[in-house]
Amino acid sequence: MILDRALARYACALLLFAALALYGARILRIEADFSAFLPPSATPEERLLVAQLRDGLVTRLMLVALQGGDERTLAAASRKLAEGLARDPAFDYVANGSAGQFAAQADVLLRNRYVLSPEVTAQRFAAPALRAALEESLAQMATPAGLLTRATLARDPTGEFLATLRRLEPATAPAKREGVWFSADGKRAFLIAQTRAAGFDSLAQAAAMARVHAVLAQAAPQVQATLSGPGVFAAQSRESIRGDATRLGLISTGVILLLLAFVYRSPLAVALVLTPTAFGLLAGVLVVQWVFGSVHAITLGFAATLIGESVDYPSYILLNSLPGETARAAAGRVGRTLLLAVLTTVASALALTLSSFTGLAQLGVLTMVGVVVAGLVSQRLIPWLLGERVLEFPRVRMPSLAAFTGARAPRIVALMATFAAIAFLVATHPDWWERDLANISPVPAELRAQDLGLRREMGAPEVSVFLASRGPSEAAALEAAEAVVPVLENWRARGLIRDFDSPARYLPPPGTQAMRRSAIPEAPVLEASLRMALQGLAFRADAFAPFLKDAAAARDAPALTRAAYAGTPLGTKLNAQVLELDGQWLVLTSLGGVSDAARVRVALASLADARTRLVDLRQVSADMLDSFRREALRQAALGAVLIFVLLVAGLGSWRRAVKVSVPVAAALPITVALLVAMGQRIGVFHLVALLLVLGIGLNYALFFERPQADESEDERTRLAIALCATSTVVTFACLAWSATPVLRAIGGTVALGAVLSLVLAAFWARSHR
Amino acid sequence: MRPWVLALVLLAAGTAPAQAAFDVAHLMRLLAESPSAQVPYVERKYSELLTGPVESSGTLVYRRPDIVEKNVTAPRPESYRIAGQELSVTRGGKERRIALASEPLLAAFAASLRGVLSGDAALLAHHYRLALAGTESDWKLEMTPLEDEVLRYVERIVVTGRAGRVAQIEVREASGDRSVLQVR
Repeated sequence: MILDRALARYACALLLFAALALYGARILRIEADFSAFLPPSATPEERLLVAQLRDGLVTRLMLVALQGGDERTLAAASRKLAEGLARDPAFDYVANGSAGQFAAQADVLLRNRYVLSPEVTAQRFAAPALRAALEESLAQMATPAGLLTRATLARDPTGEFLATLRRLEPATAPAKREGVWFSADGKRAFLIAQTRAAGFDSLAQAAAMARVHAVLAQAAPQVQATLSGPGVFAAQSRESIRGDATRLGLISTGVILLLLAFVYRSPLAVALVLTPTAFGLLAGVLVVQWVFGSVHAITLGFAATLIGESVDYPSYILLNSLPGETARAAAGRVGRTLLLAVLTTVASALALTLSSFTGLAQLGVLTMVGVVVAGLVSQRLIPWLLGERVLEFPRVRMPSLAAFTGARAPRIVALMATFAAIAFLVATHPDWWERDLANISPVPAELRAQDLGLRREMGAPEVSVFLASRGPSEAAALEAAEAVVPVLENWRARGLIRDFDSPARYLPPPGTQAMRRSAIPEAPVLEASLRMALQGLAFRADAFAPFLKDAAAARDAPALTRAAYAGTPLGTKLNAQVLELDGQWLVLTSLGGVSDAARVRVALASLADARTRLVDLRQVSADMLDSFRREALRQAALGAVLIFVLLVAGLGSWRRAVKVSVPVAAALPITVALLVAMGQRIGVFHLVALLLVLGIGLNYALFFERPQADESEDERTRLAIALCATSTVVTFACLAWSATPVLRAIGGTVALGAVLSLVLAAFWARSHR
Repeated sequence: MRPWVLALVLLAAGTAPAQAAFDVAHLMRLLAESPSAQVPYVERKYSELLTGPVESSGTLVYRRPDIVEKNVTAPRPESYRIAGQELSVTRGGKERRIALASEPLLAAFAASLRGVLSGDAALLAHHYRLALAGTESDWKLEMTPLEDEVLRYVERIVVTGRAGRVAQIEVREASGDRSVLQVR
């Protein structure tokens, strides 16, 4: 009878969980856009940075290096790969440096050469200038170089097209062999592919990578490809995170199940211990879905970490029960302490909820809800499920720590260590904060180094400094950008910059275009000038009829717009470099090889052109992280005050509140100091991990400090804490072995922090019966 | 020599008129035996854009084993020098160096000059399909580029000569233009 009723209760709980899980599976929308974990941006520069990081052109570039063959084989593979991928919908374009590529783009440039070329003035088409150009063409025809100019000679005797091509050529490009990009030593052929999907879209990026390998396998099976770039990283880190998480998760789950089985010797007890976390995570996810409309994948991952604390709750109750005592009675005894444990975690999560990072706010809500629900399940649902049934398990003997913890020496050592840690952190502040947003990326350092090496070899260094020219309209912004081009040319000549890439060169503002167009003489005038220029030259009289036709057409042609470049590499570039932001237009001119950003800033200031500003992405990202840090610290301080108030109210004594909070207050700086001493820089991930340390550490201290009735209860508490601490340290130490920086940061921090909290709590927070 | 190169050469030789004694291999031997030389030349460029051919002249220099120079003296001085893996162009007192390997067109062009002057069948066969006609005292070697990149500009190069001496190099361009270089 009792058994039946118990079965009904388990069925009830299972049904409830299944219903919630089903509901969750139906409404849950998981988002992978990593910008939820970037701070909301206050200044236009910051918004620009976030936009660039999110789906900027740079994030969609995939670098491909081919190796494993002689030059000819590699060049052929490069051509076949470029050809194969050009037709692939996953890519906007694939460039391998060969001259024949991008016929459509060359056609746009050829057709619009007269509005693109700064040489176009009325004099350019007068007889003397034409004569000089024709004489030069004639001389060139007789030379081998004439072979290359011959194709456009009849249409373009003044050479505007080739001059435009030369102007658009980047100052640094990879070496060429067999007509395609190669490394200097000729061992690797290079290609640049631009994916259609954004860099953070790891699934699409993985698909694009697979396409590269598939096309290559068909075209040149013996050639191997190395892929790199932000999108590749996204796909690879997704893989490695998943691989790590699965592998390490299995190991730690196995260890914890063994541990629980060893302590409880009952499958039912093990299942019960896992129940609060399951309910908590599910409820938390549902609430975040309701509040935010979607759940971020990273939130999910972190939250599973944060409410990992809740695995401990049922153990604190079950292990505290006396032989023959029901779970309900035990829950009644430890209830108050458990409530405080839950509330202090809620308070620390509250700090996250207030964060202006959407991702962190989600994390805060999920943790708060998850922990509260897990607490309720531990305190109410588990005793209800067990009813009158008494869980019997052999009591593992725990040696008393009295001799160790009663002593004065360890406390003094701990105190000194704390002060030393604080002094160390103060002395080295702020060097140990992570200031580079790029370093927060979950990409392993080796991969980033490989990418950097490849970029250098390809002469495609990362662009982090550019000029942002703004205006109320696209035309106005382009004009502002055009105005600085002569200045930039001067800077380049002076060595201030190595190179620049201004959209105004391939999309001149409408005013400039109109001016150049009007410089082309009317057909009869041009014809007369040409006739005069041709006199006495070996050219046939009608040889340049195509030129006259083109010039007449150019006079009446509509303005060159961004739309003309659609589907070409320049078109994609324009979309990234000419953008509308909050009703303002921005034109970005990237600067390459800036040796001294400060000097460039000064040079720019001397222009007194308020329309154009210098944007140093590194600086912006450092500023952003600084402001994030300030915000995080403010919220952490708020959370700390809240936690202390809770402790005072809950414990009913100042002295006890101090006693409980001191161990964890000491553990945190020591943890950070140790991490810094190991060469880590403290970033967002560490802060999240420290919040978990705070939650766990307080729990240890709370249960240690709880007045114990007798030596047997003392021992039961020790067993509960030992079990909880061991499972936490095992889980997170596993994560610390991960190859993924995020998981490693969290794992190392929590494992270290948990051990320190436990030891310090044992020193300081012992109750005195 | 790689087997396929050999096969190509044999194939090319096979297409020549059935004068068993004179084939590409034989021609190459003759060319390889000829010494370094410095000869004056005249080059005429024919184009549908021109009323008549444009003439340029200068000297052609060949130094064993692999240096070729084309020094243009008229209508304006210019010099092209192929040495090692590089082409250097001197024009208006300025020198520019370009790696031969960087562009297939350049590599093919350099190979045609070097290969013919030094009698290097393998080098020629790497870039061209060869067809030989005529006799030892009056031969014609037709070279058709193998690579698409080269074919976009050059349709064919025809070299004529007598025994180990090159008399004329004609380049037929894809545009329909052609240039004829005659050794004087």
